[in-house]
Amino acid sequence: MTPLHYFGEFLRQTLQTVPLLAVKILFVASLVALLVWVLRLPQSATTPPGGAKRWDENLKIGAAVALAIQILIYSLL
Amino acid sequence: MLFAATNLLTLPDYAVIGLYLISTIAVGIAIGTRMKTGTDFFLGGRRLPWWAIGMSLVATDIGGTDIIGVGGAAYSYGMAVANFEWIGCVPAMIVGAFVFIPFFYRAGVYTIPEFLERRYNAGVRSVMAACWLLFMACNLGIMLLASAKMMSAVFGWNEVACIIATAILVGGYTFVGGLAAVVYTDMIQCAVMIAGCLLILVLGLVELGGVGELKARLAEADARQALASQSNTDTAEVTGTQRTSLILPADTQSPFPWPGIYFGLALILSPAYWIGNQAIVQRSLGARSEFEARASYIWGALLKNIIPLIVAVPGLIAVALLPDLKDGDAAIPNLVGVLLPAGLRGLFVAAFLAALMSSIDSYLNSAATIVSNDLYKRFFDPKVTDQRLLTVGRITTLALVAWAVGFAFLLTSTSEQSGIYAIFQTLMAFFQGPAFAILLIGILWRRATGNAALIALLCGIGTSISLYVLNQPAVYEALGWEPLFKIQEPFLYFSIWAFAVTAVVLVVLSLLGGPVPNEKLRYVFGGHSKTEGAAT
Repeated sequence: MTPLHYFGEFLRQTLQTVPLLAVKILFVASLVALLVWVLRLPQSATTPPGGAKRWDENLKIGAAVALAIQILIYSLL
Repeated sequence: MLFAATNLLTLPDYAVIGLYLISTIAVGIAIGTRMKTGTDFFLGGRRLPWWAIGMSLVATDIGGTDIIGVGGAAYSYGMAVANFEWIGCVPAMIVGAFVFIPFFYRAGVYTIPEFLERRYNAGVRSVMAACWLLFMACNLGIMLLASAKMMSAVFGWNEVACIIATAILVGGYTFVGGLAAVVYTDMIQCAVMIAGCLLILVLGLVELGGVGELKARLAEADARQALASQSNTDTAEVTGTQRTSLILPADTQSPFPWPGIYFGLALILSPAYWIGNQAIVQRSLGARSEFEARASYIWGALLKNIIPLIVAVPGLIAVALLPDLKDGDAAIPNLVGVLLPAGLRGLFVAAFLAALMSSIDSYLNSAATIVSNDLYKRFFDPKVTDQRLLTVGRITTLALVAWAVGFAFLLTSTSEQSGIYAIFQTLMAFFQGPAFAILLIGILWRRATGNAALIALLCGIGTSISLYVLNQPAVYEALGWEPLFKIQEPFLYFSIWAFAVTAVVLVVLSLLGGPVPNEKLRYVFGGHSKTEGAAT
C-alpha cells in the first residue's frame, strides 16, 4: 500500500457515507442552478441581433425546456 | 455469440438499406460540387444552418457501436448508462451555447488548437494538434474495426468487406463534400437513427403491454437475479431498484458510480467533449452566424433528451423479454429479431449504419482540418491560398481513409487480450481532462501563461497514462500493490485526477511566471472589445 492507496481509500470511504438522497439532491440542485442562470441571461445572449421576432428565436426558452426535462428526469429516476 | 439478424433480412429490408445509402451518398456528392475553397471544405463556407448542425452534433456523438453497446450496457447495468446522454451532455451543451461557442466563433478560428496558440503559444497548439490527430487517426481505425466486428456478428456480413465498404462510402462523400456534406448527411443519419431506434422502443412496449408491465417484468427479473447472485458474488450486474436508477452508489461494481458520473463525467469529460472536442466544435464554427452557432447547441441539447429513451430503454425491454442472455451486447440484435417484421428490420440496420457513418465522417473531416490547418498551413506553407488548402484537405482525407483501413487491419492481427485495443479505446481519456483544464483556465484567468500551460498539459497527460499503467493487473501485481481503483474501467476517475494535476500545475507555474502579453489577453473573457476583433 502506498500513500496514493491510503488517500484513495479515504476518499472512497468518505464518498460511501454520503446518502444517495443527498446525491440526488446534488444532481437536481446543480441542474436547477443552471436553469436559474439561463433564465437570468441578458437578452443579447439569447436572441439574434435586433431581438427575437418570434418566440422560438429566444434561445432561453429552448434551453429552459431542455433543463426542465433534465430536472424532471433526475427527480424521478 | 451474437444473434445473426441478417438471417431474417428480406428483400424489402435490403431495399430500405439501399435507399438510405443511395440518398446519403447523393446528398454528399451534390454538396461536393459546390466546394471551391478551404473554408468551404473545413467550415462549410460558414453557411451551415443551426437545425442541420444540431442534428449533426447528436448523430456524431452516437456511434455505430453505441446503438448496440448502450442498449447492452442498460441490459447489464441498468439506466445509469443514460447519464452519458443526459447529465453527460445537456448541461455542458447549454453552457457551451451561451459561453464558449460564441467566444470561439468570434475568434474566427478553424480549430481548437489554433485558438490555443492565440491564447498561449505554438507549443501548446502543436501538442494539442498532435494529441487530437493521434486520437482521431487511431479512432478512425478502431471505429471501422469495432463496427465491422459488430456487423459481422450481428448481420453475418464479412468483416473485411465491411471495413473496406464503410471506408469507401464515408471517405467518398467526405472527400467530395467536406464539412457541409458531413453535416447534411449527418442530418439524414440522425433522422434515420432516431426512427430506427424509436421503432424498437414502441414495438417493445406494445409487445410488453405498456410501461407498467415493463416495470413488473423488471421486478421479476431482479428477483430471479438476486437469487442467482447469492450463489455468485462476482456478478457485476446491478439488482433491485438500481436497474432503473440513474444514480448508483460510490461502491457499485458497475462502471457508473455517482462520484465518477458527477465529478468525472458531468464536470470534466462532458464539457471537455462539447467545448473542447475539435470534431464537435468545428461544425458550430461553420454556422451562418454567431446566433445560429448558439442555436445549434440548444437544438442539440433538446434532441439529446430523447436519445436514452430510444437507445437505453430498449436494453431494459430486452431484460423483460429476453432475461437469460449471457452477453449484454446481444440484447438489441436479439430484440430486433423478435420485434421487427420484414422491411422494418432494414430500417434498424440503416439506423446502425447511420450512427456508424455519422461518427466516422466527422472524425475524418476534423482530422483533415487539423492536418491542413494546424500542421501544413502552420509549419510548412503559412501563405497557402484557400484554393490550395482545399486540395490539401482532400488529399489528407484520402490519406486518412487509407491509414484507417490499414490500422483497422493491423488491429485485427492483435488479440483483444493484448491490451493494445483497450489502450487505443481509452486514448481520449488520457488527454481530454488536461486539455479542458488549460482551455478553461486560459479563457477564465488572465494570469495563465503559455509555458505554464504547456508544462501543465504534459504533466496532466503523464498523470492519466501513469494511472492507467498502474491500474493494469500485470503492473500492480508485479509491484505487489492493490489496484488503485476498485471499479471496472475507471476512465472517469483518470480524467478527474488528470484535470486536477493540470490545473494545479498551471496555476502554480503561472503565478511564478511573468506577465501575459496583451495580445494573448484578447482571448480571455473580458479581455478586449468586440470591435477589435477579439473573442470577448
